Amino acid sequence: MITESVEEYLEAIYRLGEREEAATTTSVAKELKVAPASATQMLKKLAKQGYLKYKPYRGVTLTLKGEKIGKEILRKHRVMEKFLDTLGLPKSRVHKDACELEHHIPNDLERAIHQRVEGEIPLPPGAPGDVMPLTSLLDGQKGIIFFIGGGRGASQRLADLGLTPRTEITVVKSALFHGPLMVCVRGTTLAIGRGLASRVFVREK
Amino acid sequence: MSTARKELLTIALAGNANVGKSVIFNYLTGLHQHIGNWPGKTVEKAEGTLHFKGRTIDVLDLPGIYSLSAFSIEERISREYIATEKPDVVINIVDASALERNLFFTLQLLELETPMIMALNQVDVAKAKGITIHVPELQKSLGIPVIPTIATRIKGLGKLLDKAVKVAKGKKLPKPARYGREIEEKIREITKLVKKIPIQYPPRWVAIKLLEGDEEIRKVVSRVDPKIVSSAEGHARDLERIHGEPCSIVITSERYNVANKIARKSQRITPHPGPSLTERLDAITTHPIVGYPILIGVMLLVLFTVFSVGGHLSGFFEDAMEPIKDAFGGGVGELIGEGLLGGLIAGIAIVLPFILPFYLILTLLEDSGYLPRAAFMTDNLMHRVGVHGKAFIPFILGYGCNVPACLGCRVMETERERTIAAFVVTLIPCAAVTVVVLGLVGAFVGIHWALALYLLNLVMIFILGRVAFKVLPGEPMGLIMEMPPYRKPNARSVLNETWIRVKDFVYIAFPLIIIGSVVLMGLKVEGLLESIGDFMSPVTAGWLGLPAITGVLLIFGVLRKELTLVMLATLMGTADFGTVLTPTQMIVFAIVVMYYIPCIATIAALVKELGWRKAAYITVFEIAFALLLGGIAFRLLTLA
Repeated sequence: MITESVEEYLEAIYRLGEREEAATTTSVAKELKVAPASATQMLKKLAKQGYLKYKPYRGVTLTLKGEKIGKEILRKHRVMEKFLDTLGLPKSRVHKDACELEHHIPNDLERAIHQRVEGEIPLPPGAPGDVMPLTSLLDGQKGIIFFIGGGRGASQRLADLGLTPRTEITVVKSALFHGPLMVCVRGTTLAIGRGLASRVFVREK
Repeated sequence: MSTARKELLTIALAGNANVGKSVIFNYLTGLHQHIGNWPGKTVEKAEGTLHFKGRTIDVLDLPGIYSLSAFSIEERISREYIATEKPDVVINIVDASALERNLFFTLQLLELETPMIMALNQVDVAKAKGITIHVPELQKSLGIPVIPTIATRIKGLGKLLDKAVKVAKGKKLPKPARYGREIEEKIREITKLVKKIPIQYPPRWVAIKLLEGDEEIRKVVSRVDPKIVSSAEGHARDLERIHGEPCSIVITSERYNVANKIARKSQRITPHPGPSLTERLDAITTHPIVGYPILIGVMLLVLFTVFSVGGHLSGFFEDAMEPIKDAFGGGVGELIGEGLLGGLIAGIAIVLPFILPFYLILTLLEDSGYLPRAAFMTDNLMHRVGVHGKAFIPFILGYGCNVPACLGCRVMETERERTIAAFVVTLIPCAAVTVVVLGLVGAFVGIHWALALYLLNLVMIFILGRVAFKVLPGEPMGLIMEMPPYRKPNARSVLNETWIRVKDFVYIAFPLIIIGSVVLMGLKVEGLLESIGDFMSPVTAGWLGLPAITGVLLIFGVLRKELTLVMLATLMGTADFGTVLTPTQMIVFAIVVMYYIPCIATIAALVKELGWRKAAYITVFEIAFALLLGGIAFRLLTLA
């Protein structure tokens, strides 16, 4: 069982990486608002458990195992933030509560909330629990296309460009302000509008 | 058969966008090309001729598309052409660096059963990506000749042409690739039925299209034998039950499976250690923070260059041509001097100097691969206007001149998106409108009023764009766009492309500017302008509160909008507009000029891109809208 504080650390390190900032003991401690001494201790512990590589004075890098958890928690955090925001809670509470809830949301519930918030197309009945819209993947994450919903024209167009079921797809990056996604599929790079991307359902790889 | 018939061959170029198709087309045909529209369609048709070893070859450049489903007009035109006109040979141009996706299209071309060869282009780009392709293996899998080429360096093109002619003469039909067993069974069943009816398409292809539920082919077949269509529907349902997906997706997936197998068998990929140049550039140009200042910088640089270069060129031409015009005088002389030559000079001295650098820079940006990045960054913004990111470029173009902007709306894939984009573009104040707004309102009422008009214009664009988005029928289509790798622009293809675009523009705009200016001069010489002004006075004086003479100006503005200001000075006998018009009148006049009727060259561009009917709707709507807005503004301003 992974403890909440482990998840917090991995999330913070992942977030630093996303901002292209170096993850050092100091920056991690600052991000989590803890004392540098306790951060050092925790990072050493995480390194021992194989979540990250830690070199004193050089900073930390996540291992694949650690990155996967960090990504997932950050994704859940963002979904919850958006959801709480739609409930009309004050901004200060939105962040705090999302920090709390991110550790307790199972994947299928996260997806259901995501769909409610984004007003997306429901999945076919009986879809496995870990299926989620392409838009839920974070930058750099890979998925396998499971299903393409929405109008006939749009799904055919996506399929024509190589987005067919059971194909691997990588989200390269997503533009700001709810903009399109840059994805890599079948060896080519495509830009897909967010509306279309939310109709593409994937299983995280 | 006569010998002349035997000598003439037709080659069709087909392939995805961004594979170097136009480079090959330009190489083959040089400047012997004519660009028009497909009969009755608003899609561009590029044709050219070349002479090779004593025979005349007609080369047709089909639109760059990714599939032959009936998704866009381009796709429908392409497949209709290949299936029914049957060119002697199809050259399928393929991007070697994205083999699998390109092969998906190749497989569809093979289904059309026309003699075919493949130009495996950009092998250098593929190599840089660490991809090497085993040509004999690819040839064996597809059953057609494959020629590796590097079009930008003219490598392999001679051999390609040689092979194309050989295959065309041999008339050897390719064998379509086979798909999975249960799909093949269904195809076979339906093909048997289709073979019994007279139809101009290959039977196997018809069978596949019926399985996919292709609307057009269903219509064609059901006219002959509706039973075949319903039987195909039954088979399609069977497949849907097995796979749990719509049959068209099942077949698309199957084609991709085959493409994947062929690609894997014939290519070897050695991934590069570090990030590629494109990845490194993308990290900056589409960076969530740094990317936007870069985008704004690029756009400002484009506008600045165009206006400064254009301004110099324009001044130079005008000075050079003025004496010619002055040589004519009185009656018929004025008609020729002011009308015919005046129109021509306006075209050369005022329009061309701005169009030329604009197209050159635009083509450079396009060729380098930056434009798709700009579309990526602005997609969300453009959605608020009812279009997607690809419309960003025409949108920006519009502030220079609406004509190339309308022509640029071609990048939108569906008729619906194209219509919305072109409509929005005609609402954008072009450089000529800016002259009027700044020269009248900015100079005599105050710069803040001029800015307010621009702000109002933006608001109107957002509102009307949204309305068009809601009102127009059809499925709204979001952004799906390939992001080609960055590359060094190729001088030859940039210049060629610029030349073709400028030619295109001149053909559309010049005749109209010249005819229009002759007609108006004719009216002036006959002394009919006064009576037209009187005729329009209920609208101009009554509804808009403007001097009656402005009616004439608004008519002249149809030619070029800045003429309204130039002629206002002539007719009023002064350039100090403050003495002849009240501030309210100036604002109302500027509003009407801003929104009413796209100028005549823009209307021509609309006709080319959207057809007569839509061009007429947009024109009529904008006249009515301008009058409405002008009338409201007049009443509000006099109230205050």
